[in-house]
Amino acid sequence: MAVQALPGHAATTGHDSHRDHIHPEPEGFIAKYVFSIDAKVIGIQYMIVGLLFFIISGLLAEVVRINLYNPQGGFVSNDTYNGAYSLHASGMIWMTIIPLVTGGFGNYVMPLMIGARDVAFPWLNFVSFWLFPVAGVILFASFFVGAPEAGWTEYPPISLQGPPGTSLWCIAIFLIGISSTLTGMNFMVTIMKMRAPGMTFTRMPLFVWAQLSTAMLNMIATTALSAALAALFIERQFNVPFYDPARGGSPVLWQHMFWFYSHPAVYIMILPAFGFTSDNLQTFARKPISGYKMIAFSSIAIALLGFMVWAHHMFTSGMAPWLQLPFMILTMVIAVPTGIKIFSWLATLWGGKIEFHPAMLFSIGFLVVFTFGGLTGIFLSAVPVDLHMHGTYFVVAHIHYVLFGGSMFGIFAAVYFWWPKITGRLMNYRLGQVHFWVTFIAFNVTFLPMHWVGLLGMPRRVAQYQDTIPSLLGTFTFWNRVETIGSLFLAASTLLLIYNMANALLRGKRSPANPWHARTLEWTIASPPPYYNFKSIPAVLKNPYDFGEPLPYLGLDPQPDEDAGSATKPPSLQPAAH
Amino acid sequence: MAQLAAPHKKSGLGPGFWQVGIVLTIANLAISWWIITLDINKYLTEAGPPAGDIDWLFKFMSVVANAIFVYTVGYIVYFSIVWRRKKTDPIDAVGIQIHDNPTLELWWTIIPGILVILLAVFSVRIWASLQNTLGDVLTMESIGHQFKYEFRYPKLKQSVYDDMHLPVGTPVTLHVTSADVIHSFWVPEMRIKYDMVPGLVQTLRFTPEKTGTYRIICTEFCGTNHANMFATLHIDSQQDFGRWIAAQFKAQNQGPGPVNLSSGQASAGQALFGQKCSSCHSSGPFEQKIVGPGLGKLLSDPNHPNLVTGEKPNAEDISHVLINGYSGPDNSQGKAGPSIGVMPNRQANALSNADIANLTAYLVSMSQK
Repeated sequence: MAVQALPGHAATTGHDSHRDHIHPEPEGFIAKYVFSIDAKVIGIQYMIVGLLFFIISGLLAEVVRINLYNPQGGFVSNDTYNGAYSLHASGMIWMTIIPLVTGGFGNYVMPLMIGARDVAFPWLNFVSFWLFPVAGVILFASFFVGAPEAGWTEYPPISLQGPPGTSLWCIAIFLIGISSTLTGMNFMVTIMKMRAPGMTFTRMPLFVWAQLSTAMLNMIATTALSAALAALFIERQFNVPFYDPARGGSPVLWQHMFWFYSHPAVYIMILPAFGFTSDNLQTFARKPISGYKMIAFSSIAIALLGFMVWAHHMFTSGMAPWLQLPFMILTMVIAVPTGIKIFSWLATLWGGKIEFHPAMLFSIGFLVVFTFGGLTGIFLSAVPVDLHMHGTYFVVAHIHYVLFGGSMFGIFAAVYFWWPKITGRLMNYRLGQVHFWVTFIAFNVTFLPMHWVGLLGMPRRVAQYQDTIPSLLGTFTFWNRVETIGSLFLAASTLLLIYNMANALLRGKRSPANPWHARTLEWTIASPPPYYNFKSIPAVLKNPYDFGEPLPYLGLDPQPDEDAGSATKPPSLQPAAH
Repeated sequence: MAQLAAPHKKSGLGPGFWQVGIVLTIANLAISWWIITLDINKYLTEAGPPAGDIDWLFKFMSVVANAIFVYTVGYIVYFSIVWRRKKTDPIDAVGIQIHDNPTLELWWTIIPGILVILLAVFSVRIWASLQNTLGDVLTMESIGHQFKYEFRYPKLKQSVYDDMHLPVGTPVTLHVTSADVIHSFWVPEMRIKYDMVPGLVQTLRFTPEKTGTYRIICTEFCGTNHANMFATLHIDSQQDFGRWIAAQFKAQNQGPGPVNLSSGQASAGQALFGQKCSSCHSSGPFEQKIVGPGLGKLLSDPNHPNLVTGEKPNAEDISHVLINGYSGPDNSQGKAGPSIGVMPNRQANALSNADIANLTAYLVSMSQK
């Protein structure tokens, strides 16, 4: 790595150093937008494909909910139902949330935030992306040969009996796993080596901290899942008994390997959402985060602890009972760094000048809903209580509070926040606020009743249920109908977002470089950013979040006059003189 | 930053901070009181230990979680209102520029830390009481099948299906496992569950203390018909249980006798097929698999393995599989093949002699079509 170029001093060392010169922009539509190695284009590609899979997976959820409208089901056959919920979960987790938070926003925003022109390995990034649509198509194509039915966890031996699509599921998740591992490596090196001069670790934006801890998890944990999937595929196709107990295999082995990945995967999905929240809260409260270091280090603490708690998904699965104890206690310990984050965000709101931008609403909504989901997680961590709750709708409610209310609310906030930077157009502000309120209410109507329905005896993954609870709380049928109606509103609320996006693209007002008066580096360049991001790499003087002070950067690219002279631009946000 | 100092200075933490705190405390105490006095038994029977202990832990966690949630969300809403940007604020108005509050940070690390330690201590104590044997008064087994439960009682040679009877007041040690895929054994009224894992035995310990009928529910996905995998737990008085188990021993000594195939009615068999067989078998060709193969051409389609004699199957062979069930590899080609799954035996399917004759007649008649 060559000497880092300081502003105004374009270094002239070797040709190999990408910091020193700017490659010419590729010509032609295909090279520019399809087979691109530019992290920004790849990020957008991730977002488009992710949105597509989000819609498909969401529609599958509606199939599930509509079938549960009546206790005897009947909307679809049992097999279709089982396939629908399996692909809903697989599609949402692997084809929507993980690609969006890492590949999508990670690729687009993270290099801009650290003042880099691209990620460390653009071709690797290219491979990561192109594995993604291939994996997604294979996953959803499994419907044509018999979709996997045993849920996203695919526990053997039932997954060994499962329809042929189960093998396609293995291939698809294996491919997306490789994509995740490569992205993890890529981001790790990018963040370690390519930060702008002067950007020490404690001057990194908090989203970059979140991406760093996520990259660590992606890089290490995903390999365990790949191994488990390869073994499942080999057992299904070539009859080598890894998991079949009748022939010396162990079904619990799969569970250990699966959860060794899939518990960290929960943090892969939520840590970037923590990052979105940290940056949004500061920008729209107009004040620095309370306890920057606590937020940053608690991300790393959560990532490390996340590797040590996988077996809390397996308290009933068949472990030596004494093994339950360390997993229970370590899981409870995660409540402490998570609590630190939540209280820090709460303190950030205090004394702010809070603007209810749609991104801010989603971030505040995230705080409320994620706090709830985090607390129900603590219930599930205690072995005695988990013995009752495991495998019930309580778990379904918990996972949706942390993954929908957590990760998806975070993604929605990120969409509203970075949309003008990515497209150069402004979305409709009011419609965004309406989208938030419809989503927030429909979300709680859909998932809140699942808590008590589960506690009172409704198991998960059932196509029919018994309407056995004639208590004050209403029958199972009543609450399932409430949930189904809520979920239909939830689906409809997504149409508001899609309409808003389409409308902004077609008719939206042009966005200035920094419409939200944010202070991280991506907002100092034009919207959308030029191909090379930064003509000269700026130098970073301090932590970015001191609102009201001049931006702490030296050597920013001069921006066109329309931005600098814009009436809405506060004087405090003028580029620092240099 | 002159415009910021004003609200900050006037009331320290901002207007109404402590008043809101008082309101939230009252709300919190009211909800906590509701939780503490809630009679969970009214919603979901506590049928005996360990249900009471587990509900106590649940209530403890609910009270703590409620306090955290009420204060956090209460202040989120309150801050959002009090510290919102007002129309009159200048475009470049900013919030109070503080970065840290080490004292506060210390407290919101220490207090959750203490709560976690408390929770861990309580959880471990209750966990330990779950591990302690209450005395091996009644030790029995349950085996999961797709899609039913089998129960084995001491000294009773034949298994019981679908209905589990237990005497009230007797500590039970229940070993659970599975014959095919992973199932789960959950009695919500006992607040306890363990997975039934093939090749692994797990142990549940509980003491039924309230007579009644309760649900046994499978909570691990186990196949097409998972949603309908239930059994019934009857907690009987000692006298009722004594009568029931005596009847089981009597039935054991009698046995069902040989099946008379010639009396079979294909139409009765067809109705029975719909009730007992169709969740695993279609009446189509061999390839139309649900859990097991399609049985439409059992005698005429060479795809069906010759499980019983190694020869081309006949009606006798069909009834043999119906009576004895089948599990393990397909050895019909003269060499060990892959496992072909499990067909439950007549006890598991609760088939009488007449049922077997009728089913055999139906399966034969389909092959002849």
